Parts: sequence; C-alpha cells; structure tokens
Amino acid sequence: MSDERMLLLTDIDEPGLATREVYERRGGYDSLRKALAMSPEEVLAQLKASEIRGRGGAGFSMGTKISFLPAGDIDKYLVCNADESEPGTFKDRELMQKTPHTLIEGMIIASYAAGTTRSFIYIRGEYVLQADVLDAAIAEARDAGYVGENILGSGHSLTMVVHRGAGAYICGEETGLLDSLEGKRGNPRLKPPFPANQGLYQGPTLINNVETLSTVPAIIAMGGEEYAKLGTQNSTGTKLVSVSGHVRRPGNYEVELGIPSREIIYGLAGGPPEGRAVKCWFPGGSSAPVLTADDLDLPYDFDSMAKAGSMLGSGAIIVVDDSTPILDVALKVAKFYRHESCGKCTPCREGTNWTVRMLERIENGEATPMDLDIMASVQEHIIGNCLCVLGDAMAMPIGSMIAKFRPEFEEHIERAREPLLAAQNGNAA
Amino acid sequence: MARPELKPITLTIDGREVNAGEGMMLADAAKLGDIEIPVFCYEPKLGEPVGACRMCLVEIEGMPKLQTACSTAVKDGMVVYTESERVRGAQRSVVEFLLINHPLDCPVCDKGGECPLQDISFGWGSGISRFIDPKRHFIKPLELSPLIAIDRERCILCYRCVRFSQEVAEDYQLVLLERGAASYVSTFDSHPYVAPFSGNIIELCPVGALTSRPYRFRARPWDIEGAGSVCTLCPAQCNVELTVRDERTLRVLARDNDAVDDGWLCDKGRFAYQSFDADERITQPLVRDGGQLRPVSWERALDEAAGALRRAGAASAAIAAGGTTGEEALLLARIVRDALRSPHLDSRRAGPLPLALQRALADPALQASVADLEFARAVLVLDADPRDDAPILDLRLRKGARRRGVKLALASPVPGALADRADLALAYDEGASATLLHALALALEGRDASRAAKEAGSDGKRVAALAELLQGDGEVVVLWHERLTAGPGGARAARELLAVAAVLGLADADGSGLLEIPAAANGRGLREAGLLPNAGPGYTDAPLAGGLDAAGIAAALASGELSALYLVGCDPLLDLPGRAEWERALDAATSVIAHAALLTDGLRESATVVFPAETYAEKDGTVVHPDSRLQRLRAAVQRPGAVRAGWQVLAELGARLGVATDVRSAAQASELLYDSVPFYAGLSVEEIGGRGARWSERSQATALPAGGPDEQADSPAAGLDRAELAGRRSLWDAPEVAVSPALEFTARPRELV
Amino acid sequence: MSDPSAVVRRFEHGSRVPGWDRPADLAKPPATIPDPADVDVPPALREQIEHHMSLYPDRRSAALPALEAAQRVHGWCSPEALEQVACVMRVTPAYLESVATFYDMLETSPVAPHSVYVCTNISCSLRGADGLLDALRAATADDGDVHVRSFECLGACDIAPMASVDGVYVGPLETDDVPRLLADLRSGEPVLADLQLARRPVADPRADSSEYPEPAPEPQKRPTP
Repeated sequence: MSDERMLLLTDIDEPGLATREVYERRGGYDSLRKALAMSPEEVLAQLKASEIRGRGGAGFSMGTKISFLPAGDIDKYLVCNADESEPGTFKDRELMQKTPHTLIEGMIIASYAAGTTRSFIYIRGEYVLQADVLDAAIAEARDAGYVGENILGSGHSLTMVVHRGAGAYICGEETGLLDSLEGKRGNPRLKPPFPANQGLYQGPTLINNVETLSTVPAIIAMGGEEYAKLGTQNSTGTKLVSVSGHVRRPGNYEVELGIPSREIIYGLAGGPPEGRAVKCWFPGGSSAPVLTADDLDLPYDFDSMAKAGSMLGSGAIIVVDDSTPILDVALKVAKFYRHESCGKCTPCREGTNWTVRMLERIENGEATPMDLDIMASVQEHIIGNCLCVLGDAMAMPIGSMIAKFRPEFEEHIERAREPLLAAQNGNAA
Repeated sequence: MARPELKPITLTIDGREVNAGEGMMLADAAKLGDIEIPVFCYEPKLGEPVGACRMCLVEIEGMPKLQTACSTAVKDGMVVYTESERVRGAQRSVVEFLLINHPLDCPVCDKGGECPLQDISFGWGSGISRFIDPKRHFIKPLELSPLIAIDRERCILCYRCVRFSQEVAEDYQLVLLERGAASYVSTFDSHPYVAPFSGNIIELCPVGALTSRPYRFRARPWDIEGAGSVCTLCPAQCNVELTVRDERTLRVLARDNDAVDDGWLCDKGRFAYQSFDADERITQPLVRDGGQLRPVSWERALDEAAGALRRAGAASAAIAAGGTTGEEALLLARIVRDALRSPHLDSRRAGPLPLALQRALADPALQASVADLEFARAVLVLDADPRDDAPILDLRLRKGARRRGVKLALASPVPGALADRADLALAYDEGASATLLHALALALEGRDASRAAKEAGSDGKRVAALAELLQGDGEVVVLWHERLTAGPGGARAARELLAVAAVLGLADADGSGLLEIPAAANGRGLREAGLLPNAGPGYTDAPLAGGLDAAGIAAALASGELSALYLVGCDPLLDLPGRAEWERALDAATSVIAHAALLTDGLRESATVVFPAETYAEKDGTVVHPDSRLQRLRAAVQRPGAVRAGWQVLAELGARLGVATDVRSAAQASELLYDSVPFYAGLSVEEIGGRGARWSERSQATALPAGGPDEQADSPAAGLDRAELAGRRSLWDAPEVAVSPALEFTARPRELV
Repeated sequence: MSDPSAVVRRFEHGSRVPGWDRPADLAKPPATIPDPADVDVPPALREQIEHHMSLYPDRRSAALPALEAAQRVHGWCSPEALEQVACVMRVTPAYLESVATFYDMLETSPVAPHSVYVCTNISCSLRGADGLLDALRAATADDGDVHVRSFECLGACDIAPMASVDGVYVGPLETDDVPRLLADLRSGEPVLADLQLARRPVADPRADSSEYPEPAPEPQKRPTP
C-alpha cells in the first residue's frame, strides 16, 4: 500500500500550505507555467489522455466535457462545483481548506484549455472557513499575477469569484447550481441544453468538481498518459474516499481506483467497532443503492460499483453496522431527500413526501406489509421520471433497502403493530 | 430578425404518421396527428418549456429514458409511443402523485367541468389512489388580490402563474415560497397581487387554485356558452371569448390570436364586463324635457333628433370615438354630409392633419404589424406608454426584448412602464415631438443634431445614441401614439416622422414600419370610414370642403355658428382635449344628440337626446386594429331593455332625414362599409373571419390615394395646455372601469394600482 | 388570522404548512420594486450589496450574498431587510423572499443571535447526533441567545457527531461537551478550541501528517451578530 501513488493528500497538513509561499516552495504553480507554455489544445490533449472522470458523482470524462464547449469569441464560464453536500462526502472540504492553491492552479489550467475567461467557485454556505481560505488564496494568486489579466504574459485572462451558497443540497446538481449562482432559487433546469452549450447566463459553461480540478496540476506535471496508468482502465487515477459512519477511523483516504472495497473499509478506516459487523454500506454517498457485506470484496471503481447495481458517486462510503435497524437508515435517507427536494417536478416532490409518510407509519405501527409493495412501486415510479436526479437519489437507495432487507422491514411492521393490535383486541373483548 | 420557419418532416406517433415542422415540440406536433399528450405545466405562451409536471412523458425509440413531450423537439423519422405500458404507468403515477394532496372537491369547485386536472385524471389516471394518509387542509379560499382568490389545497405547483408574473408580465410580484412539498404560491409579506395583467393567471391555472372573485359561483360550465368577439375598450382590440349565461356576460376570457394579443388580456378588458350590466347602464331612449333627461319611446326620440338636425341643417356637426364601428361611422357620415350638407365631422383626438400626410402615414408599405414588434431588430416607442395606451402591446414588447433580444428605445416626455426593459430611454419636452424627430432625422443622416435636440429638451448625445440604435441591418418598427401629432406642431411632427421613416427605409423592408396607436379604440376604423373633416371614406378627397375639426366644432358651437352636435361613443369632456372650451360649447349648443351606454359627465349635463347604445358584447360590426387588421364584433348577448343596434338607429334616422341607405341588417351595413371604402373593396365577413384580415396586405390596398409631406402651414396654436393635448390617461381611467364593482379598488390613489 | 386548528377539526392533524394560510392584505399596496425615496438602507449594507453586484455580469447573482449581508445586519431576512436589499438591487422584494425561503441558512422568521447547526444526517446520526441534538436543545430551552437547529449533512462526517457553531465546525461531540460548548459561546471564547475541525489532520496515515505540529485554529472571520 505504501508504494501507491498519492497525488492530492501528500503532506497536506504541512503548515502554511494554504499560503502561496509554501505552496510555491513545494513546486506549486509549476504546472501552470508548464501548461501556459503549451497551446490550449495541447493541454486539452493531456487532460483527455489522462482519461480522468469527474469526481463529483456522475463520473463523466473531463476532457470530453471540455471539448463540448463551442469554440469562438463568446463569453464562456468555468464553474467549480464546491457545493459538496452529498451526505457522507467531505473530501473537497479538506482540499479547499488545506491546499486551496491546488484548486486555483487547476482552475486556471482548465480555463486555459477550455477558453473561459470568467470563473466562479460555488461553495456551500456552511463551509465558512474554507470559503475564507479560498478568498485569501485567490487574493494572493491575483497579487502574483496567476489570476487576472494576461496571466504570466500568456495572453490568457481569468477572473475568479468565490460564491457562497446558503444551504440547499440541490445546488450541488449542476443546473440547480447555475440557477443559484444567477441569484435564483436553485431549481434544476431541463437538459438539454447542457451547460456546455447553454449554462451560466446562457453562455457555454464548464462545470467541474473541486477534486477533479485539483487533480489537474498533477496531471499536467506527470503527463496525461502517465496519470492514466494509475487505477484501472476505465477508472484512471487516484480518488479521495470519504469514509464515515460505523468505522473506527472515519476520514478521507486517497486510493487508486480499483482497490478492493474491503481494503478501504477495514484496512484504512479500521472497520466497524469491536464486535460489530457490516450490515450495509453506501459506496457513493447516501444516493447510492446500498451494498451488503457480501459485496465487500468488489474492486472500488466506477464500473464495478455500477455492475453491482450501485454507483461510485462522489466516493463517499457510509458504513452501517448490524446494531442499526434498517428502518432508521431508510427514514433518515428519505427525510433528507424530502427536505431537499426543490419541489419543481411532481414525482420527486410528492414521491419523497409520500415515502416518508409510509416509513413513518411503519415506525408507528400503522402499516401493513402491503405498504412495502406500495413503497417499492412508488420508488419505481420516481426512478427515471424526474427532472433531475434528486428523486432517483432517494428512490434508488430506498428501493435497494426494501429489496435487500424486506424480511427486516416486515418484522418491524409486525412488531410495531403489536401494541395497536393488542389495544384493538382489548376493545373487542 | 428571421422568423422561425419550420421544415416539414414526418414522424410516427403510436403507429400513425404525423406531418409536422422540424423543431416543434412533440406535445404540439402530436396534436397535428390528432393525438393528445396530456400536459399541466406546458404552455407555449409562457416561453421555454420547464418540464416540471412530468405529465407528458413519452417513449421515444432510441432513448432509454422516458422523455417529456413538452421539451422534445421533433425530428424527421422520430418514432414515439404515447400509449405503451411504460408510458401509461408513468402517466398513472404522475396523476396519482398530483392527487396526493389535491382535495378532489370538484363538486364545489369553480373549475369543475372545465378543469384540465379533472380531464387528465379521468383520461390518464388509474381511477384509484393508494395514498391513505390524511391530506393537507387549509383555510380557503384566501384573497390573493381584489380580483383573484387562491385555494392552496388545490394547487398542483405547475409554476404557470409565477412564470407569468416573472417572465411575461415581468412584475415579479407572484412567486413560490419555501421549498419542496412545502412550496406555495404567494406574494411578498401578504401584499396583494395587483398588476395590470394579473387576471391572466386565473385562465392559466390548470386547476381551481386561482379563481376569479367576480366569477366565483356564478355559473357551471354546462350553464354557459362561449361567444367570440373583440374587446373595444382600448385600441389594442384584444380577441376575447365572452362567457354568457342567460343573456348576461359573466366572464371574459382570452381568445388567443397571436397576431393581436398573444392570448393575454389586461385586467380592464377582463373585468370591466361588469359595466355591461351595471345599474348605470342606459337602456331606454332619453330626451331632455324641462331640464331633465326623461325616458321616452324610440319614436319620440328619433323624431326629436331628426327634428333638431333638420332645423340645424348645415350648422350640425358630428364626432365619434371609442368603439364606434366602421358601419356606424359610415352611416353617421352619410347623415351629416348627404342629408345635412354639413362638412363638420371628426374622430381624431389630436386635431387635424393634412390629408396628404394622413394618406402617407396610411401607406400600406409603412404599416408594421403587432408581430413585427416581436421580431424587429429594434423598436422605438415614441410618445406612447403602451401599458396605458394599448396595454397588451406592453407584453409584446417585453416578449420581444426578453426572448429575441429586440433593442427597445423609448422617447417620451414622461417615463413609461417599459423603462425597466428599455435599452435606451430619452426624455424631451411635452409638445416638442416635431423638433425631437427633426433632431433624430439629422442624427440619422450623420449631421449635428445637438442644437435641435437641445431645443426639444433633450441632448445631442442621447439623440445620436438613439440614431445609432436604430441604424444598421435589420427591421425597425416605430410604435407611436396619435398624441405625437397633437396640437400646433402636429403636422410638422407627422412630416418629421415620415422623414425619419424614409431615412430608415421603413417602407422598403418587410417587418419594418410604423404602428400608430390611435386615441380612440377604433380610431383607425373611424378615419378610414371617412369621419374626418378633410377626407371621405378611404382617405378620398372630402366630398364637402371647409370641414371643421373637433376643436373648431367646439369653438363654432360656442360662438353660435353651429347649433347641433351629434356624438357617437364620445363624451367631449372625457375624450377630447380642452375641457373648458367644450363645456362652453355644450352649454351653447341647441341640440346635443348622443349614442351612449353610460351617462357620463358631459352627456348628463348637456345631451338633449340620448340613444341607448350597445356595449361591444351586444354589437355586430367591423373595427380596425391599429395595424390595419379589420376585425369583426359579434353580438354575444341580447341587447338589454330597449337598446337598439347603432347601425339601425342611424339608418332609421337617416331615412327620416332623407338618406336612403337601404340598410336593414348588420350584414348590409357591413357590405355598405366594404363597398364605400375603396381599399376595403371585395371584403366579406367570411374573409375577415375570427382572426381578422389586414387590408394593407390585400391587393385592393393600392386604392389608397398616394400621400406626401404636405407643406401646408400648421394650424395656429389652439392655446390648449400641452399636457391636456397629450391626454395621457391611466389604463384604469375609463367610465367602464368606474361602474365595474370588481375594479372599484383601482380608484384608490395611484400608487395602489 | 387566528390558528384555524383551534376552531376547525379538519386542521387538527398537523399536516399544515406554515404560510399556506397566509391571505393577502388588500389594504396594502402591491409590492413593486421599492422607490429609493421610501427605503432607508444602512450605508454599510448598501456598500456591501453594491460590491457584490459588481462581481457578476448580472446584478441578480448577488442575491445570496446580499441577503446574507442583510441577515447579518438584521438578524434575519425580515420584510424590512428584504425591502432594503430589493431597493439596492432593483428587484421586487417578492423575488428575494422567494430566494430566501429556498435556502436553509437564510432565516425568514426571527432567530436568536447565535446559531448552532447540529448535523443529524445519516453519518452523524449513526454516531449519536440525535442524542446530541436533544441535549443541546434541553440545555438551551430557556436561552434566548442561542438558536439550536437540526441540519442536513454539513460535510464533516469525519468528526461525527458534529455541530457548526456560528459557522465554526466542532466535533466529534459527546453530550458531555454541551455545557463547555455553551459556556465558550456565551463568553465569546473560541468554541471548543480542541475540537475544532480547523486543527484536525487528515485521516489517511500515508499522508504523513504526524511530523507536522497541530495547526493553529483559523481566526473566526465571520462576524457574530
């Protein structure tokens, strides 16, 4: 393990790394100089060769996304999605707080490749410390000529503004984020048009996650092809994994994609507490369908997770041990998505609400096993029928819990009904 | 700006071949094949689809997920299924989701029977619900405004009403508050939603959540009939459908006509129908007797009028305004010119304009259409505030600016409601229109305009900026109000306007032109029917010379040179400038004969004979939209009381005075009009139809005599107050509004409405 | 309007949504874009809002930062605060109320000056967040200065269960930490300095954080109301 490459977390706790001085002493902004010496097309070629897939959740190829932006002298935008709000995910927070210049450098290089001249970092409003750190770092970068007009004499210019959100999960969805950045309610938009064609202020917009953009300097430094050798064929590179829940050492770990999942949960994060076993785990944030202990030996990469019926998502593993009733997990998840549904489309708005109502009835002993069938059918009617993926983000894990833990739900229904039935029988007698 | 032209394509929906235009939304294209795809949030009038309700999900070959038909552009060869099991399942589930919190109180809901939610639940829902938890309940209905009630239980959050407020009316008063399942439609801090176009949200609502307070519980859909006509409460002449029950108009709905109104109505048009049945309505002929107006028989009233006019003879004059139809105008002109041999006829509030100029301004090549406002590269709104002058055009201009990037320039002595939308707003002195236009013409020719601009109360730089905005490739439309030509400088202003149009080449380019908002609702039709001192029907030379204009008529009445005044749809104290002059004139007149539906100030004091007039709901006839579109009024309800048709009264009166028109029906009156105005020749009621027909686009348009920049000297200064001449009136300042109880709130101080 | 559940039985079951019973007051004028002559905006607030507006191609993008600034001045997004922002931004107050009610961090009813967000999402809840929330609520029940609310995932599951105290992340917390947390908050000291996220090294042992001294906590930049 120790010989594995680390690109993002190495020495991340070095004092002062958030300052330009220390960052530069460690070779910071060398990648930017290297990139600016190349043509934008060459930089894009490097990014394409790296085959890096987006680290925000959807896993779309970054190089391809950039090449979707139309050429030409029009206002184009780069937006960094720093709204990290998928439950279980906290990797971007660590990067922004401790090495903000890596992100800034990555954004400048990406903007050079994509031909964008204005950039925004949309950071969730709760990340006060991280936003302050970014503001300070951008000011330093501006003073040093990395951000602004004619960067290092290259002719490329870029403005950079940190935009703080105000507490809404849906603003992590890229089009919801754009609406929010435009000063509106963060309602997702219909796609198409995709942001690459019509995004912020109707202009072509490249949106990437913090981790993706923070990896760009490393890709330029080592070369795209070299980077592509890390990880597996379809999931190149290293990935930050946020591990939380019932593990002994919750936190961020950098792994090469393709590592056995057990290695992360047990090897790195220490596994569940003494005497407990893994009951289920979310491999990619709370939106991912749950996997069970049987799936622990699957390689942790995009394709393997998809093949197992779940997803790598944002790379957040939440471990639930056998001391927790599945109903509690389901209720937490469903209530979260009900709270965060923007309300724009019908299946998500009403479906999340209905699901919570049914789960609450199960909890209160007012449900019958038939409610499980209805609940499963409601999830099916949500999946694929919504405007954005938030509805699916609830329906997929809830559906997977009903499918994988149905006996436990049924047992709960029966147990919770006992007092009610007893009272009814008492009345009858 | 290029207008969308659709390439014909063929797609297959449910095994049926459908011919449609490429790029149309699938939900619209399906209708062409007689296939209905249910929708709630989709309403093309509101702009881009939002895909929120998910009702229109369909299966498209080659796409793994179901797609929303409202937002999918059709392509040649596309294969679509709207009735597959997957689609059925999605439709049933969306209906089930929507009904979760809907109270299903259809039996006591005003929308029942004409409710899309009802229809779609019935047609596409499963008929049962698996939702067994308690539904939400709230106090209802609540007042959203003096005109609109809101029932939040029934709301299905389709977003239509808030999109209207935000993206069509752009008043941004109606919004969604909170998030997710807790979202609701509301206003800021309990303020009412009061705005000139607010009533449209009632019609947009696909459920019974937004209802009309004046219409609530007045009728059920099976009690009523819909009757199409044209609203003549202002020059915008929106197409309407009147909801009629037991010969009473209970509601006014939009009758979508993109060429006129885009399917919207202003609140005056929507709610002032209450004036049709107001207590104040005159329903019997009145004759002044012993200082008092008293009800009399038609015979007596007609005799009185005929006698008075016969006595006055050539010392008679006539003025018409408002929604007076072309037919009425023509018959009126026959009486005055043929029977009484008087040349004194007028219908222009702004005062006289040399005939050559009027002909030049009516040149078919110069006539811009309403749609041109939306597709032009630039629009200049000149001395007009569309929100008050022809409200629905305000929405059209906003639409063009928002959706198509039309450059919008305003030039007016007072800031207008469109200021927030304008790319350039230029102020100048009241009454200085001609000088300003002269400056603009200079600037357009690349000459120094600073002196003229300063003289007009503006500055050279602004005028140069305006010239720059108007110049260049692409269509330009100048939307101007009749008041531009008001007063002593009027003819000069018209000449300068024609000069500007010439420099800009407005006559040469399709989609460019001038569009005049007249002061009277059918101002254009009245002029074309020959109700002018200096022109006969169709701007032919006046049959009799020496005609006085309205101001001249007032002076001649006051001095005793004229003795009888015949008014149709006009109260000089309300509709014409110079109140003091008109008070004197009406006092001095021996006879004042009026056709009126309401007894307004001037008539109450001075009329000697009043014929009870029809409202537009009771009327048959022809009116002309500002863009030269002839439109048909069609009677929707019976005339109340003893009210008779205007054409009939005029024909009878004409007969008594010896004018044989042989008009015995509304259709004959129309025929007479079409035969009399040379450029209407060959028109028929059928050709006008429900959508209207623009005479400027017909081959007979060449019958308009050529005009030119007549060099006749301007009339001497009338000495009227400039602001009074300009006559800027609020949309709400109308007798029909004053007697409509629902609109009573508009009489509050200006800042409240 | 009085509480309808008191008089109408069908309102009793508690599924009502706040605001849904709000009628319009017909005596009020319509809420259009405020006339600058009618609205007094504190100069410092105006300056902040104008600065934010200058950062974006479209002035409306400044809505969130402007509302946040107004909330700092007024304590919450009161109608008065919304009118002030609307006046500077030249939008209707309804537009801003619509935005403000969408976001959890913008308060649309009055709240206490100090806020404690307790994350009760899944990872924190698996590690005892619900008990922590109860303890904090119990300890502040009579405290008009501290507003404790349950919050969705705050992105700090590595220090679960955790809370954000006036924007400063602290964790992992035990119910025993509650008295100290509140004492620090009331005295104006840095809250639970030893448990602040700012000082926590990364978990991955291979990042080799051990050789570095524990970083000092960042100064609290967010002005407390």
